[in-house]
Amino acid sequence: MGPFELNTTISNLRNLRESDLSAYDAVYLGNIYCRIYEDNFLERLDDLEEGIALVKGQGLRAYVTSYAAPRNDVLPKVQKALETAAAAGADAVEVHNLGVLRMVHEQFPGMPAHIGGFANVYTDAGAEVLKEYGAVRFTPNYEISLDEVGAITRGVGMPAELVVHGKMPLGVSDYCFLLEYEQKWPEKCPTLCQKNLFLKQGDWAMRSVGKGVLSGKDVCMLEHLPALIAAGHNVFRIEAAYETPAYRLNIARIYRAALERAAAGDRTEDESAWSTIREHTAVGLCNGFYFGRTGAEYVGKRPQSAVAC
Amino acid sequence: MVELLAPAGNLEMVKAAVENGANAIYVGARGWSRRRDAYELSDEKLHEATRIAHSGGAKIRVAINTNMQSCEIPSLLKKMEKFVGWGIDGAIMTDVGAIGQVHRRFPDLVLHASIGANILNNEDVKFYRSIGVSQVVADTKLTLRELASREADIDVGIEVLIHANHCYTYLGKCWMSPYMRLERTADDFGKDVFRGSPNRGGLDYRVCLEQWELLDDKALLEPVITLKNDAFFFLDDIPALIDLGVHCLKIQGREYPVPLVAGIVRFYRELIDTYVAKPAEQPFDLAPWRMRLEAIQAERDSKRSNMTLVLLNEARQPVPHRT
Repeated sequence: MGPFELNTTISNLRNLRESDLSAYDAVYLGNIYCRIYEDNFLERLDDLEEGIALVKGQGLRAYVTSYAAPRNDVLPKVQKALETAAAAGADAVEVHNLGVLRMVHEQFPGMPAHIGGFANVYTDAGAEVLKEYGAVRFTPNYEISLDEVGAITRGVGMPAELVVHGKMPLGVSDYCFLLEYEQKWPEKCPTLCQKNLFLKQGDWAMRSVGKGVLSGKDVCMLEHLPALIAAGHNVFRIEAAYETPAYRLNIARIYRAALERAAAGDRTEDESAWSTIREHTAVGLCNGFYFGRTGAEYVGKRPQSAVAC
Repeated sequence: MVELLAPAGNLEMVKAAVENGANAIYVGARGWSRRRDAYELSDEKLHEATRIAHSGGAKIRVAINTNMQSCEIPSLLKKMEKFVGWGIDGAIMTDVGAIGQVHRRFPDLVLHASIGANILNNEDVKFYRSIGVSQVVADTKLTLRELASREADIDVGIEVLIHANHCYTYLGKCWMSPYMRLERTADDFGKDVFRGSPNRGGLDYRVCLEQWELLDDKALLEPVITLKNDAFFFLDDIPALIDLGVHCLKIQGREYPVPLVAGIVRFYRELIDTYVAKPAEQPFDLAPWRMRLEAIQAERDSKRSNMTLVLLNEARQPVPHRT
């Protein structure tokens, strides 16, 4: 790995083929929320095999994610996806469920495990337990601050993967409420949740993907990248599972350039990046919980309107 | 015999739950459980609760089930030293690191994986068993079929919530509330309080219960979307749960008035005892129980709706920032 890794998430082969990944170092394959998401890699194992080959063929690392909330009846499918990942040479698997981590540890002992954000890493002691189960990297729970993340990485010696841009997961469900209404709308499952759907109430807004809720605002840590690099972080994610190929590419180019500058100690900023970022956000920017505040707030030199979450 | 586990948000509720037939009660240690501090007990009161429970023949479990900070684990261990010395019968926990450390320090203490651990499958149960947990709370979304499919060789007790909420999201995997409002303060003892984050021990603003508009970009698709969130009482499934051999039937509700909780505990005590006492071949008529439960449910729904309005209003208040 170079001085840093920039990665993203892609749910199916169509999206993978449509995406220019030149600004990325690695890609997570699969949709963690829904089994019937359009041609989800985690259900279409031939596609997963091809996807891993496509990603690796571009010189990138291919990771395979897994479901955020798998029940007993899903575990056989998870098992198959893990087998495919291992056979096709995936570089790591991402796990959000500790039962799945146990499966990886017992059945695929050579496979590096990345702990996902739904696995609820809040403490260094918790990360230590997961390390004993083969974890080599963790995404901290989204609601902890950078100070807390630092305490964990220092305490355990395991790198944290930080979402630096995109819609932060806020919750996962077993129930897709969109299905209650879809007969009235032109778009249907399994592509309905790919529409730009927002739940709004007054100045509150959340992005809905049916079985998942994401932040309405895009997390944006662009102006804080030098501080993240200085703190020793080097794995960054653009959370773009439900975004367009243009979002995936344009945002990644901005972050790759900014990370390269930050890694070289260059503190200059590219002002033109902000207009691109604003073009790609529907309701504004936030910092998530990184600064110990309300998740929808933005801290920094780029004051955000308080109009919508 | 299945255990009836009741909530206790104050000493009066401890007494009422025990007197009305709970086999065990659970209390939250102030600052360390998934409820706001008004429904938790100070150390002194927790000591008294232990005495009341034990003198009434009931067990007491202490909920220390926040997702804490790394720096708080040493003080948690000190607190546990005190609680274990007082003779608590178990601890309800979420963070896997804290569970591991408490288990190493107090290997004889019974540890329960909290609802916040969101245990969904048999592999999850095995994972928690391996770090020292001996009872797990089944997620409220699990079906009877899923509970029945638990592998017989997993030596872990299952607790089933018989009065709780079916949230839209999985419990322990939701931070919608602090996304809208998070107020970080400290309590009188200097412990951090994350008001707005249920996972971190503050209150939950129940923002999911707002009446939402659904938009596709800027276009209104639906004027009112209600995310599914039902408070429930189990009734029809109770006989099946007892027959399945679940270890514990758990009632949630530390935040409700004492007479309401007392009534709920009495209802389930009598239901369980009546079912267990009847001859196996005799059918069990749930109709009279259903009528009794309807009255309890109406009272609970009224209290819950009022609480939700208060919380949603609080969620809209500006956060005074700490400097």
